[in-house]
Order: sequence, then C-alpha cells, then structure tokens
Amino acid sequence: MARSASSSAAAVWAILRKECRSEWRTRYGLNAALLFAITSLAGVSFAVGPLGDRTDILSGMLWVVLLFAALASLSHAFVREIEGHTLTLLRLVATPTAIGLGKLLFNLIFLAVIEAVTVPLFLLLMGGPPPKWGRFALVLILGSVALAAACTLVSAIIAQTRGRGALFAGASLPLLLPVLAAAVKGTRAQWQGGTVGAEASILIAYAAAVFGVSLLLYDHLWED
Amino acid sequence: MSAALAGAVLCSLTLEAAGLAHRYGRRRGLDPLSFRVASPGVVALTGPNGSGKSTLLRIVAGLLRPTTGSLSVAFGGESVSAAARRLRVGFASPELAFYDELSAEENLTFAAEARGLPDPGAAAGAALERVGLAARARDLVPELSSGMQQRLRLAFALLGAPPLLLLDEPGSHLDEEGCATVARVVDEQAEAGLVILATNDERETKLGTQRIELRRRGLGDPA
Repeated sequence: MARSASSSAAAVWAILRKECRSEWRTRYGLNAALLFAITSLAGVSFAVGPLGDRTDILSGMLWVVLLFAALASLSHAFVREIEGHTLTLLRLVATPTAIGLGKLLFNLIFLAVIEAVTVPLFLLLMGGPPPKWGRFALVLILGSVALAAACTLVSAIIAQTRGRGALFAGASLPLLLPVLAAAVKGTRAQWQGGTVGAEASILIAYAAAVFGVSLLLYDHLWED
Repeated sequence: MSAALAGAVLCSLTLEAAGLAHRYGRRRGLDPLSFRVASPGVVALTGPNGSGKSTLLRIVAGLLRPTTGSLSVAFGGESVSAAARRLRVGFASPELAFYDELSAEENLTFAAEARGLPDPGAAAGAALERVGLAARARDLVPELSSGMQQRLRLAFALLGAPPLLLLDEPGSHLDEEGCATVARVVDEQAEAGLVILATNDERETKLGTQRIELRRRGLGDPA
C-alpha cells in the first residue's frame, strides 16, 4: 500500500512537471488565455473606463473574464493528449487517477499564472476601491480551485468525443454557474465590507464534491 | 543472462486466454481465441491484416477490455488486473506516440519517473543505449526519422526491464542494424521473461519459440 501510494505520488509529480515543461515550450494555452483576458479588459476599459465604486459590476466582470479565460485554455489538458495521440503512452505509465490529479494540479498552477497577470491589470484598468486583501485572496483561491476541478473533470470526460471544442464550453457552463455565483457574491461582499464565510463554504463544498466525483470517475473514463 | 536483464526480477509469467474476443462496434476485431503461454520464451503472433494481432496485444497490455472471454496474466503466480498490468509491461506499437515538444531522452525520463523507477534518467539513458539511439537522445521527437522513432518505441518498451514485452511490428521502418537490434533485444528478453511479437515479417517470426496464428479472412470482417 505504501509503495503504491508513493508510486502514484511519483506519477502525479512526473505528469505535473511534464505539463509545465510542455506548456512552457509551446505556450499554447497560456497565449490563448492571456490574450483573451488582456483583450477583454482593454476593450471594456476603453468602452466604459474606470467603474469607481460599482463593486457589483466589478465583481461580475472579474469573474466573467477569469471564467472565459479558463474555458479557453483548461480543456487542452486532455484534448492535447487525444490530438497528439499520446494518451496510450500516458495510460502505460500512470493510473487514470494519477493522470487526473497531475492535470488538475497543472490547471491550478496555470490559473494562478493567468490570475497573476489578469487580476492586477483588472484592478488597475477598472478602478474600484482597494480590495480587502485577505478576503479577496480567499475567494479568488477557492473560486480558482473550484473552477480548475470542474474544468479538469469535464475536459477528461469529453476529450475523446467528437466536437469536443464546442462540447467543453456547453458541458462546463451549467456546472460552473454555482462557482460563478458564489465567487461573484464573495468578491462583491469583501468590497462592500461584508463577510465571505457563506460563499467560501459553498466553494469549498463544491470543490470537494467535484474532486470526490473525479476520483471515482477517472478510473473508468478511458477504459476501452 | 545479459547485463541488461541482470536487475530484472526473475519471476514466472503465464498468460491464459479462454474465448478471448473483441468487437469494435459491429466490426469483429478479434475472433474467440484460447491459448496458454508461459515464460521464458518468445511467442510469434501472426495472421493476415485485420485478424486481431494488435487488438490482442492491446488486450494483454491492459489497454483494451475484451468484449467476451477472459484473460489471466500471472506474475510469479499472482494474477494481475488489467490496470496494474499496464504499468508493468513493455509495450511498443506503431500507434505509440511521444510528446513532440520533448526530446527522446525527456520522453523516456518522464515515462520512467511516472512509473516510479529508481533512477529515471539512468533508466532512460540505458534504454536509449540498448537501441542505439543514445547519440540522438537530446533531439526533439519530430527531428527523428521514422526508423529512429521506432527505436524510441522499442526503448520505451524496455524501460525498467519489464518481464513481459509486447512488440507490435517492431521491425517496421528499421534498417538492417535496427532489425538486428530487435533480434538481440528479443533474445535477451527471452532468457528471463516473455516476448509476444506481432508480426508478418518472416525474420521476426523465426525469433519465436512458440506461435499463435490468427486465422481469419482479415481486414476487420464485419459481423
């Protein structure tokens, strides 16, 4: 059991490192996500300018930009394996659960990089009051974890289907609405001086549920 | 025994199939097949195109579930599930692809690391050395010729000296030296393990000490 656990950990770590190296060399997903985020922000900024104290709109806009940047890029984690015909190689070196976990960790890091660029740019271009950094970071982190978990699972499920590009967005959006709602409410609450406990609880429960379902499903997803 | 297999765990290996068959939708991929083979040795798997040679190798590797029938693979008397088998066999087939953005060495090091081999870099280097690809270790996969990519597949199959080697047309795209490498690798493996070699090449067929012949019209007959 101990050897099996350490082998799985080694596989997860190897997959994570491979994903990071591949993305760094191709920058395929990174360029797409950053281009979308920066273009969206620039466009809205030119159109409406700083939004001042409209924290309700600011909250919604921030998460719409992050959501669509995620949808534009997080599906590639598995689609790339199918289109590059490397899924056979992956299945021969790691268990489906290790593959799923490795991809999930990569997607989390990927989202963190996107947000490291997007969020400061958003705060700079769109104006608005300074965030309550502790609560803001909490909602951002939990929302990102929930987003990454859901997108990774959907990507794994639809990767071997035809029309997976369109299917990913269509299958993801209904699942991501609770994340969007809780994240927007929490972000707005911290700007308006309120607490974010309820929204944080929802995001934690959602992420835990999706993660649990993922662990149950991964072993069955690529069985031919 | 060759130095390459000196570190391999010597354990008996048996494969027993009963009525093993697979369908791809309406199309028959493998007709019902029963056999029993054991290590050490080389099993040559022959048959016309579409008779199910590749399908059978994928089932043995644990990559494909049989539609009907059963397959038991036991390492040292202990039966191993398909999921566990995938991580223990050496598998090389024309469909096996590598990551284009990584070099030959990086692909194998990744595979060795994911499989939990003690020294992934050394394991990758040793595998590349065995197939004569060490000089091109740092080249990206697209920079390798089709023959070199075939050698890379063979190197991948040899990672960690697995007790069961599944080779699907290992000599395709290979020159004389490459074919000699395949023969040498198969001979070394047969000393302590089992090789199942799917081929229609007479030279490779002769490497087999046992033979399974799939007899069907071929070309993936419909129902």
